[in-house]
Amino acid sequence: MSTAVQSPLAWDISVDDAPVALGARGDLVAVAGAEGTVKVLDAALGAEIGAFDLPGGALKVTLSPDAGHVVATGPMGYALWRRTDGRTTVRESGAWSAAAAWSDAERVAVASGRRALVLDTDGGELWRTEPAASTVTDLAWMRQGRRLAVAAYGAVRCHERHTEKPVATYPYVGSHLALAVAPTGRWICSGNQDASIHIWRARDGGELTMSGYPEKVSRLTFDDSGFWLAADGAPDVTVWDFSGKGPEGTAPRSLRCHETVTALAWRPGAGGHLASGGDDGTVALWHATAGRAQARLRPVRELDGTGAAVAALGWAGPHLLAVAWRDGRIRTYGVPSRTSL
Amino acid sequence: MTASEPYGPRDLRDLRDERVPVTVLTGFLGSGKTTLLNRILTENHGLRIAVIENEFGEVGIDDALVLDAEEEIFEMNNGCICCTVRGDLIRILGALMRRREKFDHILIETTGLADPAPVAQTFFMDDEIASQLRLDAIVTLVDAAHVLQHLDEVKPEGVENEAVEQIAFADRVVLNKTDLADDDTVIEVVRRIRGINAGVRIVPARHAAIDLEEVLDVGAFDLERVLADDPAFLTETEHQHDTTVTSVGIELTGELDEDRLNAWLGHLLRTKGVDLFRSKGILAIAGAPRQYVFQGVHMLLDGSFGRDWREDEVRRNRLVFIGRDLDREALERGFADCLATAGAAA
Repeated sequence: MSTAVQSPLAWDISVDDAPVALGARGDLVAVAGAEGTVKVLDAALGAEIGAFDLPGGALKVTLSPDAGHVVATGPMGYALWRRTDGRTTVRESGAWSAAAAWSDAERVAVASGRRALVLDTDGGELWRTEPAASTVTDLAWMRQGRRLAVAAYGAVRCHERHTEKPVATYPYVGSHLALAVAPTGRWICSGNQDASIHIWRARDGGELTMSGYPEKVSRLTFDDSGFWLAADGAPDVTVWDFSGKGPEGTAPRSLRCHETVTALAWRPGAGGHLASGGDDGTVALWHATAGRAQARLRPVRELDGTGAAVAALGWAGPHLLAVAWRDGRIRTYGVPSRTSL
Repeated sequence: MTASEPYGPRDLRDLRDERVPVTVLTGFLGSGKTTLLNRILTENHGLRIAVIENEFGEVGIDDALVLDAEEEIFEMNNGCICCTVRGDLIRILGALMRRREKFDHILIETTGLADPAPVAQTFFMDDEIASQLRLDAIVTLVDAAHVLQHLDEVKPEGVENEAVEQIAFADRVVLNKTDLADDDTVIEVVRRIRGINAGVRIVPARHAAIDLEEVLDVGAFDLERVLADDPAFLTETEHQHDTTVTSVGIELTGELDEDRLNAWLGHLLRTKGVDLFRSKGILAIAGAPRQYVFQGVHMLLDGSFGRDWREDEVRRNRLVFIGRDLDREALERGFADCLATAGAAA
């Protein structure tokens, strides 16, 4: 039973509302459904710690770094849940809230229509950005929470705290669907509707475009080292090397397992371990930085799903991978070894 | 995308099309879009319909799923200069399709002044949407009593007349409020509509009361059905002097040389795509046992092989262009040059 030893199924539950997003931090896993039902679960046991509803449906769910709060965002607004007493603050703004990003345990940025709002943990508004050119699609913090990057149509705009107007604008014509900022702070990357990844060097705005993807790039994520970027947009997950001078002139590693990639999550740490999910329900685990550039990699392991598409993936620490499928199944798998998958 | 052909065209013949049909309702303010929407939502047709409306709060049906959207038009970086998509629709349709409860039909109500092109192009440009949803038809409501003044409105250079545009893009025109216009006006309106979009089916109505089959599940963007239900497709239009947007239908017997056809069509779309609102056709390619069916919006084109040619069937090519400043003679000549026999005959 070597498989069981390598990936013990920690728990396995089912929810009614088709999951669309999953967040994991510390000892909590939060799962949000398309209709707006959010379940907060004990990461080790799967027991329900709390639940709340976001009217109008959910798109994303994000936990604070201390796992003390959960924010869910959706087409009609957002909701904040407090762990200590389960209190939920719902804001039905009518504005599309695509994403949220915590700068620290005390402050969270929430996309709200064409603006980003920065809130305290009670939902009180600390400051807001001026409207972007379109509905905000994604958010990321830079410089240890002192600068907020906001993606929308035509540009990524960076705001210093309490400044409505951007202090730096990184323009590029196109619809920026997803935003990833390297933990090193050196690179700002956007996944695009026009089937490309656009890259700016944060320091001077130097640009680079990775085009040639067969589909729009709507998921991209840096690992903890900031040296590796994983992206969808093709049947193969592409992994770009951002160490040294960056990926210019290089070719990515290709991770071949899915027909359509529906979820990506780097394992915490700098081991280059990646989990990916596909619309056929398969979850694959990868040594994503192995081999040389342009290598075509195979998964270290595949976890079979239920047949329904993988909706979301998240790591609750380095040893527990949580997976939500569109049919409502939620499972976590233990990954005990730090160095292998 | 299919497992066997990850980058190939979708072959609509091989699978029953289970994608959810989407109807786009266009028409000027006051043309009766909301009345029609309310009719569709209240009539007992057994369909679960989701509505995306761009004109706020007008639909008053309690248990209907109605979502508000604000038009966000995005340019694409794909080298085709007229290519725009509707970012708001990509977002909303994407979220809708993640719900477990599935819809049988989706209706998109556009604003009175909306350009239908970005809406249609969204269905060509976004694979996630194209794999789950199909654009069924663009239905344009026309106020019989007032449309002439909109059609005659002179726009500044470079600005399109939205009423003309909406009629040019239509797969169905609902000629509404015929009770409020005299017969001569109705006749003139029909003449003007035909002048822009020769083959379009025109459905007369009062208070937007029409048989819903006329607007739901029309299959106008279904390549298999492009011309099947449209006998008037190639209606020769009388020469119009009062509008620059017209239709050109071409019918030609014989088989086409595939390379020459691709070169001609490719060049045409690249150079004239801005002015070509819609193009569609059923073609006989030399050496191909099946009909080649295509459909285009501006520079974007989607084509595939349809049914087999019957043994005794005359290999006949039919195509139509709807657009601005079309040069019928040049189009006919260019197309005739694609005939496999054209070189020999010259």
